[in-house]
Amino acid sequence: MLPLKLLGRDWRGGELALIATALVLAVSCVTAIAHFSDRLTRAMHIQSQSFLAAERVVQSSKVVPQEWLRKADELGLEQAQTTAFASMLSAGDEFQFASVKAVTDRYPLIGHLEVRANASDEPRPVQQGPAPGEVWLEARLLPLMNLQIGDRLALGDGDFAITRILDHEPDRGANLFSMGARLMMHQSDLAATNILQPGSRVTYRYLFSGDDAALNSYFNWLKPQLTEHQRVIDLKDGQPQVARTLDRAESFLFLAASLAVLLASVAVGLAARRYGLRHANYVAVMKSLGAGKNKILGIYIGQMSALALIATALGLAIGSLIQSQAVNLLEGFFPVAPPPSGIQPLWVGLATGVACVIGFAMPPLFRLAQTDPMQTLRQDWSNPDKREWLGLIPGPLSMLLLIWWLSGSLAITLALLAGLGLLIAGAAVVNRLLVRGRLASLGGSWRIALGSLQRRAGFNTLLIAAFGTGLLAMLAMFYARTALIDEWQMQLPENAPNHFLVNIAPYELDGVKQKVEGKNLEGTEFYPMVRGRLIAVNGTPVNEREQKDSSIRRELNLSWTDTVPADNKIVAGEWWSENQNDGVSVEVEVAARLGVNLGDVLRFSIGGLETEATITSLRTLDWNSMRPNFFMLFAPGSLDTFPATYIQSFYLPPEDKLFVNELVKNFPSVSIIELDKILENIRETIGQVAIAVESVLALMLVAGVLVLVAGVRASIAERLQEAAVIRTLGGRRQLLIRSLMIEFGLLGVAAGLLASIGTEATLAVLTQRVFDMPFQFHPGLWVIGPLAGALLVGTAGTLACRSAVSQPPLKVLRELA
Amino acid sequence: MSVMLKAENLHHRVSTSEGPLTLLSDISLQLPTGQSLAITGASGSGKSTLLGLLAGLDRPTEGKIWLAGEEITAMDEEQRAALRARCVGFVFQTFQLLPGLTAQENVMLPSELRGERNAGKRAQEFLERVGLGHRLHHYPRQLSGGEQQRVAIARAFCSIANDSSTADNGILFADEPTGSLDAHNGEKVIDLLFKLNEETNTTLVLVTHEQRLAERCGAHLRMAAGEITTADIPDNYLGDQAEVSV
Repeated sequence: MLPLKLLGRDWRGGELALIATALVLAVSCVTAIAHFSDRLTRAMHIQSQSFLAAERVVQSSKVVPQEWLRKADELGLEQAQTTAFASMLSAGDEFQFASVKAVTDRYPLIGHLEVRANASDEPRPVQQGPAPGEVWLEARLLPLMNLQIGDRLALGDGDFAITRILDHEPDRGANLFSMGARLMMHQSDLAATNILQPGSRVTYRYLFSGDDAALNSYFNWLKPQLTEHQRVIDLKDGQPQVARTLDRAESFLFLAASLAVLLASVAVGLAARRYGLRHANYVAVMKSLGAGKNKILGIYIGQMSALALIATALGLAIGSLIQSQAVNLLEGFFPVAPPPSGIQPLWVGLATGVACVIGFAMPPLFRLAQTDPMQTLRQDWSNPDKREWLGLIPGPLSMLLLIWWLSGSLAITLALLAGLGLLIAGAAVVNRLLVRGRLASLGGSWRIALGSLQRRAGFNTLLIAAFGTGLLAMLAMFYARTALIDEWQMQLPENAPNHFLVNIAPYELDGVKQKVEGKNLEGTEFYPMVRGRLIAVNGTPVNEREQKDSSIRRELNLSWTDTVPADNKIVAGEWWSENQNDGVSVEVEVAARLGVNLGDVLRFSIGGLETEATITSLRTLDWNSMRPNFFMLFAPGSLDTFPATYIQSFYLPPEDKLFVNELVKNFPSVSIIELDKILENIRETIGQVAIAVESVLALMLVAGVLVLVAGVRASIAERLQEAAVIRTLGGRRQLLIRSLMIEFGLLGVAAGLLASIGTEATLAVLTQRVFDMPFQFHPGLWVIGPLAGALLVGTAGTLACRSAVSQPPLKVLRELA
Repeated sequence: MSVMLKAENLHHRVSTSEGPLTLLSDISLQLPTGQSLAITGASGSGKSTLLGLLAGLDRPTEGKIWLAGEEITAMDEEQRAALRARCVGFVFQTFQLLPGLTAQENVMLPSELRGERNAGKRAQEFLERVGLGHRLHHYPRQLSGGEQQRVAIARAFCSIANDSSTADNGILFADEPTGSLDAHNGEKVIDLLFKLNEETNTTLVLVTHEQRLAERCGAHLRMAAGEITTADIPDNYLGDQAEVSV
């Protein structure tokens, strides 16, 4: 009971409040971020899974065996089906080609549809498709066919009532190149249309959702039975771009939680060290009164355990409260409301509490138990201990283990280790420089400030490392967030082309050009295109392995141009010179897959005729540019003898959507691929992810500032005492404030500089290993780091000491005694 | 008369960055139970180091010490701590009260460390004996220097007393007990120290700069540069077994 009694007394005395506050802050911060990340990750998953309208999908060109569906039922999986095909609609004298999708009652399993009952209404979400006998049409179909809501149209032998305008369907991107506007109907009406006959081109999609175990068990059973007509699609296959965005965002959130753990531990470490130092005389007195080392350890470990228990419980509660408030506050910004989090964040918070206590709070206590009782007689509390560094090992070690567990990423752990290693080594170097600095020639406030830094050189190493860690966390998060968001914005620039025109016949080219240019649309140039198959490399037929590569096996779109297309980059060889009319430029990854290089000769079969071309250059492409991209680009004139059509992409603002109808009416043979809805969905998801990233960054900045304040508080008492003595001796208040600003400012500059080094190292590993992005040097970081350090640490330190400097020195000395 | 404290050929050296430094050399002494000994000397003469060694706070480089009949130089730190808990009390120059604890809690601490149940009551009794019965719940910062030292004296006697009224066989070490007090308060504290010493039959070893205070003790050692230079030992004071090596 003695530890608890002393705990109560110590608490009253205010000594434990510091460490308890740090611990509560640590646990609550980490718990809040872990909760927040968990909920945002779940929301992102829901949002992204809505791209499939399910968790997993089986896509087939034939109806799958009934047994497959029964098995899914047995495993308790939710199911829905869609059947997609292109067909002609008719209403009176109007005929229009449409992309038809028949859906079952449970469609969509994830996400929602958005519909309007009238053109003037706002779209509203619904969880189910049309009822039997009804169809929903994409808005532009109505004016195109002179129809209104309530009218009827014919599809095959079926006759349907138009009841809604369909504005949004979650898996619109399932078939990127579906042509024509959408008509959605009930699956049970399909038979009555008599459209689907053997040999019809149909895409059947079987949608499944359920718990992970059931899904895994089902697909493990199913996969061996799949034929070449079927494939399983998850997010990664269905929307690789979204999946990659999600992966990166998750890594970012793990990084945030890891950095929060790091910051929290630094705050606890600083508070515990201060507690240990201030308790050295307690222990010396207790030892002189007959308390042995074991007794002291028992008392302090008992105290700390009780404190840790209470502080951790409190931290968990506060952390959970903060995140729920934060989510409530931000609710309006999330397209998908973040669902409740699981129990994992509480474990993370608890583990942080335990690791902080074992790694950071306990080692000073063990050291405390070694206190020499002779110190009561010597009046010297400096307690120099050459093995102090040993006590610094458990903390970082336990944190790295915790971060590894938390992030599940060795790369994130190593990135932080690299950053921190550089930071601590740098702090030791700065410390040496400080000790060696000469002060004699310096003026008043500089001399006081630098003298103070020199006297506490040892502690300053720790302090610089602590400030540096706080700044590193903030800078790393800021730059990682900037890199991610920039990358995402680059993936989908604001006015990225969202419509493709294909199959433009040469005789239509001028007319289409005129129409598009007349509308002042931002578009790419019109590329000629012939379809051809690669049949031989250097005279050797393309072998089976290469045939399996779907990008090469199928017919390729071959084009020619005299200028390097925008977003293409020549990485080997040379672009053709003027008047050159042979040669082919190959996309670099395809070249690698084919094992071909500059000078190799490729033979193509085009409409039964063959042609050869020598590879004169290799190119990289930007697949995110939403422009027509070609694996093979020929020199102008080399494909002149083959019949070509043209392709172009342009950006069509939503308000000009009916322009598509004009094109359809004027150029009925031109196919229009509408990607606007898909891009909108992707943009919305990336927006959600970006908000998650920004919100977590804001939380991290708050945590970083808290660590800086904890650092300042840990070092303030001695400085105050010195300031009071200097004032007693006649030093002016302004002189002291200036010297404090210089002292903390210099600490901040050193910490900021080291944080810049650490951040650059961390980002180098993170971007390449975790975010899968190229290395980038950040010159701005080297300015922002020291500046932010000087500003934040200098301000926090000066503000913390300012009131004490203003008080009568006698009062300060009495309070500190 | 039994011997409470005995030291034989004590030497103490510490290593510094400039090589080994001798703090004490060849000190021997013996003190009977219930008697008092003053150690004086200039700053740095080694008197506080000697006090610490005699109290078992540290171990000498060479030599042996017996306290209450037990050889503390043969004990490990835990055993020495247990012995201190049983029969040693301390009064320090700067009081060394724990600032987070009230006067009563400070005095209770030694009893609590021994696991005694009536610690609060005993602390109250000792505080009343030093005239601070009305200041039980005051924190050190709310007490004057003289009052703080009286709390420290109460704590010292409480730590060596085996029951509520006496501290037989206990020994009290005082390091400059008046060093932080003005003359008036110093006088009061010393009177109190000797009064309690007499009432509880405690052995007293004190380090002081004050000649007047040293003269109130039964024996007086003067130290310089880690050695005893002179010793005033009354013949009738230490008896046949008494011995102070010079």
